[in-house]
Amino acid sequence: MLHHLSVSAEHSPELLERVLRVMRHRGFHVQNMQMNLVTENRQVELQVALASERAIELLTNQLAKLIGVTSVQVLEQASAAKLVAVK
Amino acid sequence: MNGAHFVVKALQQQGVKQVFGYPGGAIMPVYDALYDCGVDHLLCRHEQGAAMAAIGYARSTGGVGVCIATSGPGATNLITGLADALLDSVPIVAITGQVASPLIGTDAFQEVDVLGMSLSCTKHSFMVQRAEDLGSVIAQAFEVARSGRPGPVLVDIPKDIQLAAIEHACITHEVTEPDAPVQADIDAARTLISQAKKPLLYVGGGVTLAHAEAELRDFLAKTKMPSMTTLKGIGTIAPDQYAFLGMVGMHGTKAANYAVQEADLLVVAGARFDDRVTGKLDEFAVNAKVIHLDIDAAELGKLRQADVAIAADLKQVLPQLAMPLDIAPWQQHVLAMKQEYQWRYDHPGEAIYAPLLLKQLSDMAPKNTVVACDVGQHQMWVAQHIEFDSPRDHLSSSGLGTMGFGVPAAVGAQVARPQDTVIAVSGDGSFMMNVQELGTIKRRKLPVKILLIDNQRLGMVRQWQKLFFEGRYSETILTDNPDFVALAAAFDIPGETIVVKEQVQGALERMLNSEGAYILHVAISEEENVWPLVPPGAANDKMMEECE
Ligand SMILES: Cc1ncc(C[n+]2csc(CCOP(=O)(O)OP(=O)(O)O)c2C)c(N)n1
Ligand SMILES: [Mg+2]
Repeated sequence: MLHHLSVSAEHSPELLERVLRVMRHRGFHVQNMQMNLVTENRQVELQVALASERAIELLTNQLAKLIGVTSVQVLEQASAAKLVAVK
Repeated sequence: MNGAHFVVKALQQQGVKQVFGYPGGAIMPVYDALYDCGVDHLLCRHEQGAAMAAIGYARSTGGVGVCIATSGPGATNLITGLADALLDSVPIVAITGQVASPLIGTDAFQEVDVLGMSLSCTKHSFMVQRAEDLGSVIAQAFEVARSGRPGPVLVDIPKDIQLAAIEHACITHEVTEPDAPVQADIDAARTLISQAKKPLLYVGGGVTLAHAEAELRDFLAKTKMPSMTTLKGIGTIAPDQYAFLGMVGMHGTKAANYAVQEADLLVVAGARFDDRVTGKLDEFAVNAKVIHLDIDAAELGKLRQADVAIAADLKQVLPQLAMPLDIAPWQQHVLAMKQEYQWRYDHPGEAIYAPLLLKQLSDMAPKNTVVACDVGQHQMWVAQHIEFDSPRDHLSSSGLGTMGFGVPAAVGAQVARPQDTVIAVSGDGSFMMNVQELGTIKRRKLPVKILLIDNQRLGMVRQWQKLFFEGRYSETILTDNPDFVALAAAFDIPGETIVVKEQVQGALERMLNSEGAYILHVAISEEENVWPLVPPGAANDKMMEECE
């Protein structure tokens, strides 16, 4: 099943590794990803499409508790497509 | 003041009086600052020993343990300790030296990407990038380690930052309080509890981590709900508590394993449905609704869907759920099982029976004795046959099952609690994994007692080979063990070997009464197994037992 996530976090050099490690380890495969660093406020915005048989809450809960991650949202398929188109 | 002095000052501000570690090139400025600063440093003989001593210190006190290592091999040697602390949610802060910032990424001498390496075995890790961040990073490290669900935090500090001049820097960090439980969830949980005919309390290590032992005991006093614990929960509930059934799971009591399958409601407090607890997950407590209480929202619904899930501080939640219950038939049923399946200590022959020896030790040991155990059959016998009044007295590597944990954890506990008796219960396999820590015991003249249960085997693996691999004893025979008493003597630790039952009582007395460290080497038969056993893939009520 394909899941779309939007993750916001405070920037740190290892942030991407940290987030990707959790995704892999918890059984989610990245299909597509976009990262934006907003330099003024050092915030990172990630849009990720992930494939997994597991329930997405198993991942969102793990991501949400990472230090520095400020929000994790599951996007509906349609709004996810729109977001990608806008960018 | 340089960065290193500032680090030590920041530790002092956190109330740290004791650290464990091992020096080396990239951490030398910190060791220089430790030389005359008033924070006590104990040199362990391997960084893994330092990490596990920090864990023993933290677990036996409820505070944060601190360990220090150099870059490269020093840091890699810490890793098993960090993983152990992660799986058992132990608050420790590990400080590692790193090569100087300009050298990072050049494959410099003793350079390892410690931050990258640590990501999978810490709750969080920091690499300090500017000297002026040191204060806030260290304050944050302690806050992360001890708040919410505790865990290990690593702070990697490049050598140039340790040497940089620091004028003024603040060491503050704001603290976030956990959310209060939602009233609707509390109400829903209370309804389930009041309706249940066969409720059972399933207690994990989280209760102690939340410092909620008193609230839990009040809950039990009010509800008189039958209860059981995980390995880490042992000691949370007084052994003589009404309808307390002991440990549940693979080597749990028969009463707990049967009761959990019959229960119509599980109240899960600070536990996480670990596979060693549940056996076959789909068949675990199939008749039960679940109220799951944990500070870590990621545990809720991870393995078992809860009917009511509350992510909050147990100290706040438990008092709100306590109420008198009308469950007399269930209580009587459970008590009857507890009675029927009591441990039995009759055992034929002269050879020492480890469960009985541990029961004798349990009866003789002074109050507040700490037992740090290693991993294997002896660990399970400790869990089954020694009674603990507090979870801080039972140090057992539960989530990671790390052989070599016992002796260094005992070192940490003895340093933290100098007035209390501390016993490392080890196996002949595990003991050799951190045997160098006898050097630490000698250095600090710690009165740690070592009870070495020697079956000349990697007994737990042997047991599985016997039961599930047709007795093909691949690499589990240790008949070439060293002379353990002579080995300890080389570290000025006296001791003795015993081989028959009638020697046990006197030897335990000598061990407990010895002023300094002592090793009691106990030879037992390699044939002994740990019972009962829920075999892999089976439900908890399908226990294997000793065949006569
Ligand atoms: C570091 C590590 N390596 C391997 C294992 C696998 N293991 C679990 S128990 C055990 C045997 C332990 O032998 P011993 O310490 O003598 O204890 P016994 O089971 O004989 O009481 C082994 C090898 C482990 N848990 N930890
Ligand atoms: Mg053994």
